[in-house]
Amino acid sequence: MATVTATAPDTRTFSGTAWSWITTVDHKRIAVLYLVTSLAFFMLGGLEALLMRLQLATPEADVVSAERFTELFTMHGTTMVFLALMPLSAAFFNLLVPLMIGARDVAFPRLNALSYWIYLFGGIFMNISFVAGGAPNAGWFGYAPLTDTAFEATHAIDFWAFGLQILGVSSILASINFIVTIINMRAPGMTLNRMPMFVWMSMITAFLIIFAFPAITIGLVLLLFDRYIETSFFIPEGGGDPVLWQHLFWVFGHPEVYILILPAMGIVSEILPTYSRKPLFGYAVVAYSGAAIALVGFGVWTHHMFTVGLGPIADTAFAISTMAIAVPTGVKIFNWIATLYGGSISLKSPMLFAVGMVSMFIIGGLSGVMLGSPPIDAQVQDTYFVVAHLHYVLFGGTVFGLFGGIYHWFPKFTGRFMHDGWGKVHWLLMLIGFNLTFLPQHMLGIDGMPRRVHTYAADMGFDLWNMMSTVGSLMIGFSFLIFIINALRSIRHGEPSGSDPWDGGTLEWTIPSPPPVYNFAHIPIVDSRYPAWDLKRGGGHTGAVATAPEADAEADEPDIHMPNPSYWPIVMAAGMVLAACGLIFHQAFILLGAVLFAISLLGWIEEPAG
Amino acid sequence: MQGRRSTPLTRNRRIHAALLIPALALAVLAMAACGVTPQTTLEPTTEAARTARDLLMFVFWAMVVTFVLVEGALLYCLIRFRRRSGDGIPAQTHGNTPLEIGWTIAPAILVVVIVVLTVPAIFSNARAASPDALQVRAIGHQWWFEFQYPDLGVVTANELHLPVDRDVEIQLESNDVLHSFWVPSLRGKLDMVPGRDNKFTIKPEVTGTYPGQCAEFCGTAHALMKFYVVVETQAEFDAWVQNELADSVAPASALAREGEANLTLGGCVACHTIRGTDLEGKLGPDLTHMGSRKHIAAGLLENTPENMRRWLSDPQDIKPGNTMVIPELTTEQLDALVAYLEGLK
Repeated sequence: MATVTATAPDTRTFSGTAWSWITTVDHKRIAVLYLVTSLAFFMLGGLEALLMRLQLATPEADVVSAERFTELFTMHGTTMVFLALMPLSAAFFNLLVPLMIGARDVAFPRLNALSYWIYLFGGIFMNISFVAGGAPNAGWFGYAPLTDTAFEATHAIDFWAFGLQILGVSSILASINFIVTIINMRAPGMTLNRMPMFVWMSMITAFLIIFAFPAITIGLVLLLFDRYIETSFFIPEGGGDPVLWQHLFWVFGHPEVYILILPAMGIVSEILPTYSRKPLFGYAVVAYSGAAIALVGFGVWTHHMFTVGLGPIADTAFAISTMAIAVPTGVKIFNWIATLYGGSISLKSPMLFAVGMVSMFIIGGLSGVMLGSPPIDAQVQDTYFVVAHLHYVLFGGTVFGLFGGIYHWFPKFTGRFMHDGWGKVHWLLMLIGFNLTFLPQHMLGIDGMPRRVHTYAADMGFDLWNMMSTVGSLMIGFSFLIFIINALRSIRHGEPSGSDPWDGGTLEWTIPSPPPVYNFAHIPIVDSRYPAWDLKRGGGHTGAVATAPEADAEADEPDIHMPNPSYWPIVMAAGMVLAACGLIFHQAFILLGAVLFAISLLGWIEEPAG
Repeated sequence: MQGRRSTPLTRNRRIHAALLIPALALAVLAMAACGVTPQTTLEPTTEAARTARDLLMFVFWAMVVTFVLVEGALLYCLIRFRRRSGDGIPAQTHGNTPLEIGWTIAPAILVVVIVVLTVPAIFSNARAASPDALQVRAIGHQWWFEFQYPDLGVVTANELHLPVDRDVEIQLESNDVLHSFWVPSLRGKLDMVPGRDNKFTIKPEVTGTYPGQCAEFCGTAHALMKFYVVVETQAEFDAWVQNELADSVAPASALAREGEANLTLGGCVACHTIRGTDLEGKLGPDLTHMGSRKHIAAGLLENTPENMRRWLSDPQDIKPGNTMVIPELTTEQLDALVAYLEGLK
């Protein structure tokens, strides 16, 4: 029976502090780990992008070799999707879901730690390839048969395939954890209909992951069979079909887009009401449209394959389902704008990022409708038009939304504000740089520049747009540096924020910043969608959080018991990744990994959970 | 913004100015960028490409209108409802069912219109060829295009000749990985998938030379896998076919004769065919009429003696990763080989 005081690690020494982070099962600390790691990978993916932009700034340039360029765009895509944006969303799930639903932790705290360590080791594993014989180089989509040993005999593809399998385990475990947490651990009175919209979107995202990842898992297993034991699932000479890979990949890959965007939509759905001082307009419709997007999102995958030659019937069917997604997406945007209408809008930096998300995502959505029409798609598919489109969705949408979230909840993590002025500089530079980078790429695509090319000829008329794009990308890089400096400085020297700096409406703003390890001294009772507003403004819903939380905290601290720290998650994750190393470097690692895994499994079972 | 008072009029002027500057900048840039874009999708020369272009322009303008309306509403709200000092809590509206139904139906109507315009275009793009259509097999290789005319007996590479105003049915195949056949002025792309029969029909309407490029990532030199389509009159096409059917011309000069002898030295025989000589390799492009093509190295370089010499001196430098192997030749040997190949009209 551990108590808070009993489990508090000795943080006076460096090793004590390090050990406390290695063994932590506290969702807030795991959130910090996710945040820091994903931002590091975001920086790595960004550097890869900048190298590509430097190579493409001028025609027939020689900044990086053709071989290196294929590695750069493969790892840029893979890193941004699996190592930067998904885990950055996971940081928000970890920080916010328990706080928003009035819980003291997630349902399975050790499993939560396991998800993180698998992610960290998996990400490192995949990037080791750069110094271990060549990084993955067949694109983040890894189209067969280019991934076969006949065309790539080194382990580049194996790093990619095993890496994705490892990361998939992490994502699926985390999703199960959050679904169970959200369904079972909501505070009394918090019906599904009163859940904060971010929690809704987190839950939908978790379901998407659980249903989408098995498709790529199967695809990767078949690919590894083809590579390791010479089956021919995707090899036509042996009776296989390369198009089968595309189906499996995009059955996963399209829902993946919504896995990346829905958390940002959830964040924006929290930020817009807060800074407008109005509840989210059309709450139920925003929640349902999120679910509708997720559902229909499983029925549109072949719009990535309009040029494969599946025939006019298939193209028509998938064009219709693709267009249909525009409806719930549009509904969300209209509801966001209606949330602003009649509000009292404060344009602090989190709000600027949220508004930036909405306005940039609109552009991505509209170009998506253009791409949904197969005859148009046949012209601009696999060109820079698609590069522009996907970045308006995933950068204009996801990255803007997630950065808004960082500025908004930074005070909750740290008890201090990020500097608002520098935040606005970051926002403005990023907004201009982003549009300068990606708006011209629409023109490049329409003018016939294919994507995934390491160079282009001087007489194609691509020069000016590419130069603009490179200048813009450097601005984005610069704005990110401003963000990092601002964040690092604000951790220690930021203005103290108190527990509720933005006049928030959800439960996390009723507890101190940073929150105590047990979050809530008393589990709150909820009877509306914005319990913190009710508490502050009076008027009806007084049951929400009946007493001032700070006073509570001191009184009851010793009696709350929290789960024990555990080192088994990190050991188990190490075992898994070592086993994968064994399939590439030396079989001995497989044994070592399996032993570690078995030991940690036993240790895990025997460990008193607290 | 608190405390700074501005009348609605001056505020509006500020907004106008703020919007005008980027709009002007964009317009200037657009004009500056109106250079020559030979591979653009906006200058169609077939029915199929025109359909796609028209659809693109329609949907584009529909999206522009939507964009202006939605972003306008967003900006309006941000400006109109800015927090001012002394503002209280605004009215707490939670929703409005008729409005929400309205803006569910509005985008639905828009996409129905787009679908209605799209579906006939999908089917017309997939139309069958007329019985007298010219048959072409286009085969993707890492990293070049092979073109065969089964009915005519012609085999060539990287330069597809088509007669104007006649249906052509192009069958797409791949010899190794995925490729995609894309000539924007003729039609949207269609993939070349090993083990799968893809084909499409077009009828070129305007004579000219149109650039095309592989549009599906196919490995290291993907960017360097280009080709040209030459659309010409039936008479020109027939003459071209006659020339292609003939065996290679005998070398005309002593230097070129020496070059012919160097074919063995260079190892060319392992991969290339030059009809009328001993070269019958099947792995690389057919070189029988190499000298008559406008480009070398898969549409990469203009076919000039200097470029041919560059290519033969170091093919890996020009197209990294390609499978052409050639030993280092002396300047004299190169001169001779270039003279011979350029003579293969």
